[in-house]
Amino acid sequence: MTEAALPRTTKASGPAVPVIVEQRVGPPAALWGMGILIASEGTLFICLVASYFYLRFETHPWPPDGIAPPRVAIPLIMTAILVATSVPMQLAWRAAQAGRLAAARLALVCALVVQAGYLAYEIHDFQDQLNRVAVTRDAYTSAYYVLLGADHAHVALGILFDVWLLGKLARGLTTYRVNAAQAIMWYWHFVNVVTIIVIGTLLSANV
Amino acid sequence: MAVVAPPSPAGAERLARLERMWEARPGVLGWLTTTDHKRIGLLYFWTTLTFFGAGGTEALIMRTQLIRPNNHLVGPSTYDEIFTMHGITMIFFFIIPMTTGAFGNYLLPLMLGARDMAFPRVNALSYWIFVSSGIFLYTSLAVGAAPNAGWFDYVPLASKAFDPGHNIDFYALGLLFNSVSSTLTAGLFIVTIFKSRAPGMSLNRLPLFCYAMLAAALGLLFALPALSADLIMLYLDRNVGTHFFDVAHGGSALLWQNLFWFFGHPEVYILIVPTFGIATSIIPAFTQRKLVAFPLVAIAELLVVFIGFGVWAHHMFATGLPTTALVFFAGATAMVVIPSTIQVFAWCMSIITGAPRFRTPLLFIGGFIFMFVTGGLSGIMFLAVPFDQQVHDTYFVIAHFHYIIFGAAVFPIFGGMYYWFPKVTGRMYFERPGQISFWVIFVGTNLLFFPMHIVGLLGMTRREYTYPSGLGWTIYNQLETVGGYVLLIGILMLLGNLVVSFFRAERAGPDPWHGPTLEWTTSSPPPPYNYPVIPVVTSAYANWDDEDRARDRRRLDTGELVLELGHEQVASRPVDGQPDEIVEMPHSSPWPILLALSMAFIFSMLLIGHDSTAGVGGILCLLVLLGWHSKEPQEA
Repeated sequence: MTEAALPRTTKASGPAVPVIVEQRVGPPAALWGMGILIASEGTLFICLVASYFYLRFETHPWPPDGIAPPRVAIPLIMTAILVATSVPMQLAWRAAQAGRLAAARLALVCALVVQAGYLAYEIHDFQDQLNRVAVTRDAYTSAYYVLLGADHAHVALGILFDVWLLGKLARGLTTYRVNAAQAIMWYWHFVNVVTIIVIGTLLSANV
Repeated sequence: MAVVAPPSPAGAERLARLERMWEARPGVLGWLTTTDHKRIGLLYFWTTLTFFGAGGTEALIMRTQLIRPNNHLVGPSTYDEIFTMHGITMIFFFIIPMTTGAFGNYLLPLMLGARDMAFPRVNALSYWIFVSSGIFLYTSLAVGAAPNAGWFDYVPLASKAFDPGHNIDFYALGLLFNSVSSTLTAGLFIVTIFKSRAPGMSLNRLPLFCYAMLAAALGLLFALPALSADLIMLYLDRNVGTHFFDVAHGGSALLWQNLFWFFGHPEVYILIVPTFGIATSIIPAFTQRKLVAFPLVAIAELLVVFIGFGVWAHHMFATGLPTTALVFFAGATAMVVIPSTIQVFAWCMSIITGAPRFRTPLLFIGGFIFMFVTGGLSGIMFLAVPFDQQVHDTYFVIAHFHYIIFGAAVFPIFGGMYYWFPKVTGRMYFERPGQISFWVIFVGTNLLFFPMHIVGLLGMTRREYTYPSGLGWTIYNQLETVGGYVLLIGILMLLGNLVVSFFRAERAGPDPWHGPTLEWTTSSPPPPYNYPVIPVVTSAYANWDDEDRARDRRRLDTGELVLELGHEQVASRPVDGQPDEIVEMPHSSPWPILLALSMAFIFSMLLIGHDSTAGVGGILCLLVLLGWHSKEPQEA
């Protein structure tokens, strides 16, 4: 028996019969870490959104003359598509938790495809908008592009998480990977909420 | 202190096994890859002390410049750089990393009865990022482009149009880099406090030091993003051409101030709350009584930081805010008095009703209470808006916040150095010279900062590199400069005492003070695994529970809670502190320092405008992270 394979216990080691600690009650370390990341990044977005409105209330009209207000329909549809990926992310975790590896992988791939498609379209669209109105035009364009860009960056990070997790799941399930799946699911729920808030903020220029 | 019987043969065998499991890697490589919170704490200590030397030298250059009117020791542009670097260094590279990084790192797991932090490698990462960001920022001095717009770096002065060099880019990128480190430490402390406590340490048995660290960590976690957002916008304004702060293009200069102080005011409390924790550790040890009003003090520590988030605009009373806002923020500022006063009364009553032994650490805490109350009283004066507008940007403000930041934050740091010196080194310090060093420091500090009140009321504004004669300022400035050098002598006496003690003083033993908290139960210095047996705790003053500690020692023979089979520690449930699982702890790791170096590469490339090369650094970071996660810990 190697050392690592010994049962881990708070009770006496050696001749006494080892007793495994019962099932964990508190959240695993992975969720604590992700919670901290979400708290920090969430506050960052609150500051960015607050800055957007701070600038907005000092500038009339908003958007300034010569800039068309942002389109409404397409961003809303894209947001809805992205937010829908919360469902396969949740399913992937549930499946992983239940030990159904193939189902977990499938749900994760589904989510990943949609998220990657979303990001590809959004990057293309971002470039397109930049070609029409430069970020350096005024405070409105600065706030608009930086807020949107920050959101896209967080989607990109989530996609990296997905790819990493898929790589891990390719070699089977462990508790560590199930916990990782749950943490990454939390991250995506967070990014989706942030996207709703960011798009809502940007579209408020139409009001 | 009870005489400890030697462990039975079975216990001795377990100890030997623990030694092997937790043994540190030898040599320099061991230090570079360490994840041991005590080693990281010591690294933090030496590094922050170096930065303290740099910041102190800058302060003395300023004081020497101001010793007489029309002095031209340094020119105005150099003076700008020196006062900016002094502020940045003392806040971001001395006090915060000293209190959280050094004291927090070394003591938090010990007080919690844990073997290490919840995320030991993140801890190492935080340290290496901290060092890298410090070197990054100080490179600016070497290349003659140090930040020069004050530590709060107001736009438009800090915008490209008025400060075209790399000075402010060093500021924006350096502090952004540094804030990654502080955020990691903050998250680490929060998780450690909730997840790595000794069995039985429910939240009401958490030592007050840990409450203070929790308050500081929560403050950092939620305050730093505001600074980060601000710095990102500043960097983009300067290097990409956005217009967040450019009034001519619809931006707002006040946006910088609002975000900065939304970070900056909680930051002030983040600076002093950990030192409240040091005070609440020292007072029970030297009065041999439990602290008065434990729950109130715990809540007050958290409340100070919480209220601190609602007072930022009192730094902006001279910017023409609407009257409603002025009144609101003045009222919110007045509220800070309540939790602060609760703590002051609790400290004083504990000393009065206890059996105080005025050894050096307690003397420093006495000095701290005096300085904190004095600085607090001048602080209350600022919430009267007309008075604030009158003394805004004068030396009166400098006097106030140095009483708080030097008096209330650095005095307990000095007291803590003496108090925990026997624990960290295993040797006592020399008591008599220690007390003399306190009095020299106390006199020097007051001589340095008190006349600033007067000279500020006489109209001397901050940040002027010299002043004309005949204004009645000269004598006060001379007193201040003399005070500065007296303070220097006091600090050198303190450091000299500790250095000589390290080599010459008598052995201290595990518990020279009969201290209240768990760290005094283990040997001095503590072994790499902190405790041979994970202690089981039934009160917040665990070292005074003799029966519990005797029971701990007996468990070594039965093997319960020794965990010598792996590199492991007990994780606790968040609230009641009951054991929840056994977690495998990482041993030394090369990844943290590699990740910090990759990040330093990114920030350096951004500084010189090689954005695509910075992208290569990003890929490097991802590869390192891949390596970091290649070995999975075993989880239950």
